[in-house]
Amino acid sequence: MLSLRPTVLNSLFRGVAITLAALLIPACAPRQKLKREFPPLPKDVDITTKPPGRYGGIYISVDPGGGPNTFNYLVAEDATSMGAISTVLEGLVRRNAMTEEIIPGLAKSWEIGPDNKTYTFHLREGVKWSDGAPFSADDVVFTYACIYDERFPNRHASDYSIDGKPFKVEKIDDLTVRFITPDIYAPFLEMVGGGSILPKHALQKFVDNGTLMKAWNIGTHPREIVSTGMFRIASFKPGERLVYEPNPHYWRADSAGQRLPYLDLSITKFVRDQNASLAAFATGQSDSENVSPADVEWVRRGEKAHNYTVHERGPSTVCNFLWFNQNPEKDKSGKPFVEPYKLKWFQDVRFRQAVSYGINREGIIKGVLFGRGTPLWGPETPANTKWFNPDLQKYPYSPEQARELLKQAGFRWNEAGELFDSAGNRVSFSLNTNQENPIRQHMATVFKENMKDLGIEVKLQLLDFGTFVKKIGESYDYECGMLGLTGGGDPVGGMSVYLSSGRMHEWYPNQKKPATAWEARIDELMMKQLKTLNLAERKKYWFEVQRIMSEQLPFIYLITPNSYEGVKDRWENVEIPKAGGITWNLDEYYLK
Amino acid sequence: MKTYILRRLLLMIPMLLGVSLLVFVLVYISPGNYLDVLKAQRDIPAEFIAKKERELGLDRPWYMQYVSWLGRTVRGDFGESWSYRIPVIELLAQRAPATLALSLTSLVFAWAIAVPLGVFAAVYRNSIFDKLSALSAYAALSIPEFFLALLAVIFASQWGGFPTGGLSAIDHDYLSPVGQLWDYVHHLILPTIVLGIGGAAGLMRVMRTNMLDVIQSDYVMTARAKGVPGNVIMFRHVLRNAINPLVTSLGFAFSGLLSGAVLVENVMNYPGLGQLIFQAFMRKDRDVVMAAVIIGSSMLIIGNLIADILLAWVDPRIRYDK
Amino acid sequence: MTSDLLHQILRRRAGAFCLVALILFYVAAFFAPLLAPYATSDQDLTKTYHPPTGVVWHEGQLAVRLYKLVDPTCAKYEAEPGQFAPIHFWVKAPTYHFLGLIPVSHRLFGVEAPARLYLLGSDETGRDVFSRLLYGSRVSLTIGLIGILITTVIGLTVGGLAGYFGGVFDSVAMRGTELIMAIPGLYLIIALRAALAKYFDDSDQIFILIVVILSFIGWAGTARVIRGLTLSLRNRPFIYAAEALGQGPVTILWKHLFPNLFSYLIVTSMLSIPGYILGEAALSFLGIGIQEPSTSWGLMLSQVQDLKVFMLNFWWLLTPGLAIFITVILFNVLGDVVRDIVDPKLKTQV
Repeated sequence: MLSLRPTVLNSLFRGVAITLAALLIPACAPRQKLKREFPPLPKDVDITTKPPGRYGGIYISVDPGGGPNTFNYLVAEDATSMGAISTVLEGLVRRNAMTEEIIPGLAKSWEIGPDNKTYTFHLREGVKWSDGAPFSADDVVFTYACIYDERFPNRHASDYSIDGKPFKVEKIDDLTVRFITPDIYAPFLEMVGGGSILPKHALQKFVDNGTLMKAWNIGTHPREIVSTGMFRIASFKPGERLVYEPNPHYWRADSAGQRLPYLDLSITKFVRDQNASLAAFATGQSDSENVSPADVEWVRRGEKAHNYTVHERGPSTVCNFLWFNQNPEKDKSGKPFVEPYKLKWFQDVRFRQAVSYGINREGIIKGVLFGRGTPLWGPETPANTKWFNPDLQKYPYSPEQARELLKQAGFRWNEAGELFDSAGNRVSFSLNTNQENPIRQHMATVFKENMKDLGIEVKLQLLDFGTFVKKIGESYDYECGMLGLTGGGDPVGGMSVYLSSGRMHEWYPNQKKPATAWEARIDELMMKQLKTLNLAERKKYWFEVQRIMSEQLPFIYLITPNSYEGVKDRWENVEIPKAGGITWNLDEYYLK
Repeated sequence: MKTYILRRLLLMIPMLLGVSLLVFVLVYISPGNYLDVLKAQRDIPAEFIAKKERELGLDRPWYMQYVSWLGRTVRGDFGESWSYRIPVIELLAQRAPATLALSLTSLVFAWAIAVPLGVFAAVYRNSIFDKLSALSAYAALSIPEFFLALLAVIFASQWGGFPTGGLSAIDHDYLSPVGQLWDYVHHLILPTIVLGIGGAAGLMRVMRTNMLDVIQSDYVMTARAKGVPGNVIMFRHVLRNAINPLVTSLGFAFSGLLSGAVLVENVMNYPGLGQLIFQAFMRKDRDVVMAAVIIGSSMLIIGNLIADILLAWVDPRIRYDK
Repeated sequence: MTSDLLHQILRRRAGAFCLVALILFYVAAFFAPLLAPYATSDQDLTKTYHPPTGVVWHEGQLAVRLYKLVDPTCAKYEAEPGQFAPIHFWVKAPTYHFLGLIPVSHRLFGVEAPARLYLLGSDETGRDVFSRLLYGSRVSLTIGLIGILITTVIGLTVGGLAGYFGGVFDSVAMRGTELIMAIPGLYLIIALRAALAKYFDDSDQIFILIVVILSFIGWAGTARVIRGLTLSLRNRPFIYAAEALGQGPVTILWKHLFPNLFSYLIVTSMLSIPGYILGEAALSFLGIGIQEPSTSWGLMLSQVQDLKVFMLNFWWLLTPGLAIFITVILFNVLGDVVRDIVDPKLKTQV
């Protein structure tokens, strides 16, 4: 089995090689040997705790996002572009994906002032950009100047402001920066500290001539995109692949003094269709692959033959839920968004709880996901270990309980088993969701059948994404919606969802003042958790929000598919976290 | 002939105006816009969305947007892709070579299969071969293209002789020039077959009919009666006259050179224009959509013109000058 | 004319075979609610990806084998030896309205719950593939017919009038057709689909939307050909004779021109129906075709574009593909036969 040069490419190109041999063309000449430079390590080099490894190897991964749209930090909106950018542009701090601790990045240490609003970062000495230019406090100040620049509207500007007021960013000396937040801002280290730092020396000219938003696009020469990360970009072919090569000035090394990363190359393939990439992984042509629950079984059959393992990661971070439109307002023509008699059902917590009891989550998991999924009872999935509250009100499948609650709420059934409210209206509503996601489609059809068992008629309307977003966010002319959000991370990401004034408070957005007592309580808790740096206290507040959500059920949570990652066995130091990318420590990977 | 061509080309202008107006309005009235994806993200504040809307000019009435788009386009500026932030032309040019290559190879493949098969089927009419080829032609025309593409992917992953998708191998950049060329060829084979097989079946049936027509025509009968050797008749007279009508189809083939094949590109991960343009439609990246429509329409109109010219060329009875 | 054509078709083996097969398909589609053992939406989450149930002769009657889920992680079922559920005929079922009018409370055959009769296995939510295939055929088989009807009526009217009258009407109509034909088909379909979807929000109405869009693309070509044929017929003596008799243009078009265009229309119709069937499948694959909870062959096939179907050998999920394949072949062969009959010289191409 073992060839003299055991690279993954051998098997990949066997077909080519055979054909070429037949044609007597010496095409598969040995690859050009990769030249690596080893400039001296920076003074404040970060030494990994892992034992030293050895150089070499190519790591091939697949990204189903279809490839980055841009390498510009201010332009990027999608996860794939963000991922590529954060690979080359490090932040002041990093996150250990396994322990979820904040660890030093470009800053070797930091202090928080007694007012809990002043953060002083001490940068590593001797760190250089991949083109050899020194990294300094100027870069940090420059980055925030760009973000707050009115000429370059970008999403970070509002992330990095509190009530519209920006942070103050000052250079103390070349290696010290100070941030002052206008108010206490709990997730500062995670949100701000992890943000990419832009290179002043490379981008200043675009700021001067006002074309910063056009800089670093997918047509830019890779060498111009300088890096502070473990890799720099070697080549990029839109729609095909992105090749990373080691950043010769990377600021991490092992205890033997070898500069990380060990890899010769890291290549990300971009796909639009999961089939081809899955087929490639299952035949041993790539190093890692996200395997969907339904595919785990057959992909596992190839583990021995192709030396990989499919690892179970537990529940994913995708939170699927449905909700009833509880918006009592009227549109411009004076017509209520929701029929008043239906609004009455939707506002009745017993009705919502009955619906929740009526959903056969276990059935979906067993049938559709081959048993590889987890029911959800609250806003966080168990993947978010740090913030997940396991102690919530649960609604296991029980049509009896559902009927009992409906009866209490004044509903009754006719002889044919159809449900009517106390005023004699047939209980019927339409469920809107977008059509792009197959698992959500199954959940919608199962929901329809489950409700039919309770005597409730559900009409399914699968809409295209644009129409759906408009309905739930602008015109509000719908009754019930279903959505999946990729959650995880800090609760601050949910401010617009849980605050009653929030834009994505789907069941009744943009409220002037909270419509119910429990919404008022959630508002209070969300603000409290934002204004303290004490993690235990924040947890307590956020846990209570989750508890209220599970009791009041403005969102009826459904299921999350479990997540699986197939990885080749030949890599040392693979650490698969509960959530997020598995290559967070790719700089420590080396061949066994 | 020259005035005819000129007139047809001039007619393109009002036609493209009409096409662009129609598509622009359709894109405008379809619900939502480019910012939908942002609106659905929970951590994007409303002010930022409003700011973006102003920046992209999406807050203005549609006719204003159209006029400013038209003004730019007639000056040769197709605008900028909103999601990629680069000029549309640059974006399309990145993908065009891959699409062009696949269009050409599948065209060549279709002809290379169709002409000989059609000839044989006609010459050995009603033989087993004729019936088999007719049957396979029916089959080829009846399989949904995307399904054929999926079968190709599965075939490649099970049998292993071909790549499961894409345009080039992972280590393409590190191969020798000859190796790189071969790498492209190797990746093109399956998509070419998948895309070309339908065209081949259609062409073959036409070729067979044409051949039969010519074989049964008076002048071939006469030549045969005069004792001209069979091979000479076949190649000098029959084949040439039977292929002529097919030549006009090259004009239509030109129309499709850059349109790309969304279905096959998606399933086989082929980084062509079809994929990009479909994504732009879904994402409502307006300037990319409009540029694609303008280019596609121009190609179609010019392709039809070429077909007409070729028709006049192969059939001297047709004249366009009046 | 029609009966003569029918007679001629039936005299040819291929023609007779295709015609009979297609008629059978249509009859099955028409009576789908009676023939299908289950409704399209009937789920059974404990029996997902169930293989086709074996049908055997047991104790003097037809019966299905019962199965046990032996490995839920890969949906592996095994028949339980000696366990059967008898198949009953004309069984009681929830009442539904056949064709929306006649209340029926029986189905042709079925088994007693909780046993399930899966002639062609079940899908990812335990719905009966056979039933869905039957109901889906209603969409896939009619989409071509309705599409052809619409394109023919519009094409005939516009093309006929344009050819008959000429002048301003002619040039306006022809510029219109050129405009439609100048837009790459797929782009126009996607744009129309996105723009019009909000007016067709029910899933049943999506079917109408798809037909309307496909016909909107298709009528232009028909109109142009009809116009050309009308132009050439326009100067025939029998038209002048009709005009001299004082018949109006619509009458002339209908009585004199239409019968002369019949052979062309019948051939192009036959040969363009496959385009509609494949078109619907392609749209469904792109996610912009028929939507759940409706069903169509294209939708069913697009939902199983998945490696696990092949790797775990859920072959029965591919039967919609086979159905599309067979139907399209039948239409193509029949179209060729009809073409040979009505106009051996007419080289209509697929």
